[in-house]
Amino acid sequence: MKFVFKEVAEGISRNVSMVVSIILVTFISLTFVGTASLLQMQIGQMKNYWYDRAQVAIYLCTDVSPDSACPQGEASGDVKTAIEEKLNSATLKPYIEKFYFENHDQAYETFQQQFEGNAVAKYVTKNQLNETFWVKLNNANQGKIITESFTGVAGVEEVRDQRSYLDQIFSILNAASLAAIGVAGLMLISAALLISTTIRLSAFSRRRELGIMRLVGASNFYIQLPFILEGVVAATIGSVLAGGAVLAIVQFFVQGYLAQVLPFTSFVGLADGLLVVPVLIGAGILLAALASGLSIRRYLKI
Amino acid sequence: MILIENVSKQYRGSVRPALNNVSIEISKGDFVFLVGASGSGKSSLMRLMLREDVPSSGSVHVLGENLVGIPSRRIPFFRRRLGVVFQDFRLLPNKTVAQNVAFSLEVIGKSQGFIQEAVPDVLRLVGLDGKADRLPSELSGGEQQRVALARAIVNKPAILLADEPTGNLDPATSQDIMALIERINLNGTTVVMATHDRSIVDRLKKRVVELKDGEIIRDQVGGSY
Repeated sequence: MKFVFKEVAEGISRNVSMVVSIILVTFISLTFVGTASLLQMQIGQMKNYWYDRAQVAIYLCTDVSPDSACPQGEASGDVKTAIEEKLNSATLKPYIEKFYFENHDQAYETFQQQFEGNAVAKYVTKNQLNETFWVKLNNANQGKIITESFTGVAGVEEVRDQRSYLDQIFSILNAASLAAIGVAGLMLISAALLISTTIRLSAFSRRRELGIMRLVGASNFYIQLPFILEGVVAATIGSVLAGGAVLAIVQFFVQGYLAQVLPFTSFVGLADGLLVVPVLIGAGILLAALASGLSIRRYLKI
Repeated sequence: MILIENVSKQYRGSVRPALNNVSIEISKGDFVFLVGASGSGKSSLMRLMLREDVPSSGSVHVLGENLVGIPSRRIPFFRRRLGVVFQDFRLLPNKTVAQNVAFSLEVIGKSQGFIQEAVPDVLRLVGLDGKADRLPSELSGGEQQRVALARAIVNKPAILLADEPTGNLDPATSQDIMALIERINLNGTTVVMATHDRSIVDRLKKRVVELKDGEIIRDQVGGSY
């Protein structure tokens, strides 16, 4: 065993620059992998949070609504009563947690708040903003029930499930995390190739020793293990660094910056980060063992 | 000890087989010279005995192992029972004489205690005591071949394969090396030696196997070149 470790140390010191490049490539690629998985966790958390708050809006007709949806113009009091009755009916009530009505004044107030400082806030008038029934469902997945019940009803301009906005945001975030995983995959491939090249180079520089080892009957274990360990040691250092980087991102960027700027959103924490780190290290070690093992096996036929 | 039956070896890309229906049996304690021109098949035959290569047809049995069907994880253990020397010595230039010999024991997992005992013993046997700490570059050709021999026999092999061990040495040094190989043979090790050196073969009067174009054309006990 002492012999094996001596050989590993010798191999690493002989190929310092290649070993450093293995460390860097595994470091960067695994950091991408870690970040992508944290992003996935974040998406999951945000989905839970926002889907829970998503409502269905039944926008009523206004004077300025397009004729195609609202031939009668502004929705009358009868229309509102009819909708309220329908929402309270036995068919729909079981699906609804609560609903409330927002009139022109309230809509205007909300609008002014949301677009404070924006030029549009000055030009908008109360009667341009829809009166709205906000419906909160027991199960956010069942928005269709409301949409189908009220679309096309006289006096209703449009029914919109807020989840459709959220789905857009989440699909963008999802695409971002998939892109990160794609980049990480490419870099992992290059890491594997780099490891196998380095190991082959290392074996080539020790071909005299290897020839003698084969002649005197050194077992495959003794011949191959130093090379495999050489790759594994380098990749382990890289993946530990990647783990540290992921934790630093969580601690300083997510918790230290994002969580301060957006206080009403729940973000991934150090606990999630700590879950990712062992996976990264395991992946790094496995990758290096496979890459160096396969390349040395191909290079050193008995 | 060594039993080769109807062995042919055809290398890819060459028309003529390197070995053509060769059969030979070598018993324990034998001393056999393989002679013949370059390309006659001596080295191919030695490679088969060491399981560096497998025959295209026929069977090779060495030390009770069927070398055609031997699983590859058993090959290293088979090779530990053989010693090999070459014309070009194959020493590690950055290791001392003692380290070169010790290396071959380290890599087969021998204990430090065993190595510390065996290495000085074998260096004394080959006449290199006092030169244990020299580097190969500081030794003469004959001394380097002694180191190679020490490395080959330190693990007490049953068979010593020698591929032109005197090919790089002057006649006087060659005689010293042959004396050493004879002594190894007298201790019970079977010796198979490929050589071009007519004077050595004629002087030792051992069994001579002559190869020509991959076939055995002579197998004579007490023969000459």
